[in-house]
Amino acid sequence: MKMASGIELTRECKHVFEQIRKMKQHRYVIFIIKDEREIRVDILGIRDANYDDFLRDLRRGGPKECRYAVYDYAYHHQCQGASSTCLKEKLFLMLWCPVQARVKDKMLYSSSFAALKRDFIGVQKCIQATEMDEACREAVEEQLRSLDRD
Amino acid sequence: MSGGTMLYGGDEIGALVFDPGHHSLRVGYAQEDSPKAEIPSVVGIGQAAQASDTNLDPETKTDNNVTPGNSDSRKFYVDTNYVNVPRSHMEVQTYMKDGMIDNWELFEKVIDYAYANVIQSEPEYHPVLFSEASWNVRNNREKLTELMFEKYNVPAFFLVKNAVLAAFSSGRATALVVDSGATHTSAVPVHEGYVLSQAVVKSPLGGDFLSRQCRQHLEKHGIDLSPVYKIASKDVVKERDNARCTLRKLPENLTQSWQNYMLQLMMQDFQMNVLQVLENPYDERVAAQIPTVHYEFPNGYHQDFASERFKIAESLFDNAMLGAGQLASTSVGMCDADVRLSLFGSVVVTGGNTLLQGFPERLNRDLQLRAPSNTRLKMISANGSVERRFGAWIGGSILASIGTFQQMWISSQEYEEAGKSQVERKCP
Repeated sequence: MKMASGIELTRECKHVFEQIRKMKQHRYVIFIIKDEREIRVDILGIRDANYDDFLRDLRRGGPKECRYAVYDYAYHHQCQGASSTCLKEKLFLMLWCPVQARVKDKMLYSSSFAALKRDFIGVQKCIQATEMDEACREAVEEQLRSLDRD
Repeated sequence: MSGGTMLYGGDEIGALVFDPGHHSLRVGYAQEDSPKAEIPSVVGIGQAAQASDTNLDPETKTDNNVTPGNSDSRKFYVDTNYVNVPRSHMEVQTYMKDGMIDNWELFEKVIDYAYANVIQSEPEYHPVLFSEASWNVRNNREKLTELMFEKYNVPAFFLVKNAVLAAFSSGRATALVVDSGATHTSAVPVHEGYVLSQAVVKSPLGGDFLSRQCRQHLEKHGIDLSPVYKIASKDVVKERDNARCTLRKLPENLTQSWQNYMLQLMMQDFQMNVLQVLENPYDERVAAQIPTVHYEFPNGYHQDFASERFKIAESLFDNAMLGAGQLASTSVGMCDADVRLSLFGSVVVTGGNTLLQGFPERLNRDLQLRAPSNTRLKMISANGSVERRFGAWIGGSILASIGTFQQMWISSQEYEEAGKSQVERKCP
């Protein structure tokens, strides 16, 4: 069954997602719903970009704008009993609906979220955020680390 | 003919949104910010013999909502302006039961009224989106689909769970929706836009329960509860002085059901103005320090209410099994372990009863105690009373107006081809 709103992704979105997942070409990508019709690529983040760049781009449209984002997040993980750490990279998908956003946009973005989840295979964590305390680095990293068993 | 799909393009002709609840039915056009009308979920039923003398009432001469029954000659009164008038032998009855439409005959009267007096247009021009309780049963869903297509000839129809609408309109695809309405409080987990129906938990503690508590409390203290319809005029009296008012001359044989209904309306006003929930479990000393609230009854009697206003509201939370916090944590506990954290991370609070002062704060506290330690708990509640009361309607209004949603409707063509079972296939 289709998701509630009927909005679909463009082929470009899937292409960019694969560029990140397989080729590691970008650090992140931000998506936007255009004309209440389809999901399109809004901003691409270069591979060297950091998390602050991402948060700035996420809110570039203004404090009332909703967005989707995929970020390839890297962090150091210390396995239990091991003295050295290893670098982990995880993809997360974010639904960004700021509290101040219009109800119409909140509805549009949240009811179409299922389309991205369905088409982006390989995303390890889905994060919904309405305020900065949910989108900040600490909160996101905590969620990603909770996936590590030990 | 240019194919069925063009006939219900939502851009050309406004879709209608209906959101039925125990307190009222919300009706209006999609894409608008709030419903056009809020019609009480009760219908007044007058006796046939009364027909001649009710016609003397000025308001019944011209109103076209008094629908004569076909097989019997009962008269039906719909909407506040007609139901709230004292009439001999008029019984008041609701068509809702347990969050679902139960008395279809009365329900149809209300829909007839909505089309004639609120929408003022022909049903066959407007696609219709209905909201439903998350625990609605298949039989009921099919019956509603059948009714809308067969009786009202709607061009297209859709049915959405109200919890899903509430979650979406808060910007969440996954959320625990805590809805406290007139007859019950429920906790409904929504995961990626679908209700996890095996984990829905509900209790009968809602606004009506509080109304009964208020009534008991006030009657115990000997306060005269004469609703406004009994009062002709009143004098100004000092606080706690006996009321001085003159009573109206009323028709004889007012029914018990109508009088109870009017008393309930009065109690609803009382509870919204006076009651408040403490952030921590009820404590006489804490409650005594909070400023009192003044309330004047319809007969002119007035007084301050102090700690009792917290004590009455406390019953929504202090119940071991049915308290709102317990309800929410039980529901989360019945879901898969991997969605529990995201549910605790987005608790959407909606429903008219949650407008009770302090409700979201207390729920937050109770839930924090029951959630596993270091859980990130987040409560989301709309600030305005309109958004909180009409959350599901507003969600439906937006959904029905999204361009790409037009392909989701069950069209009349599809209904004709496959019948009422379409609703199970197309509306999750």
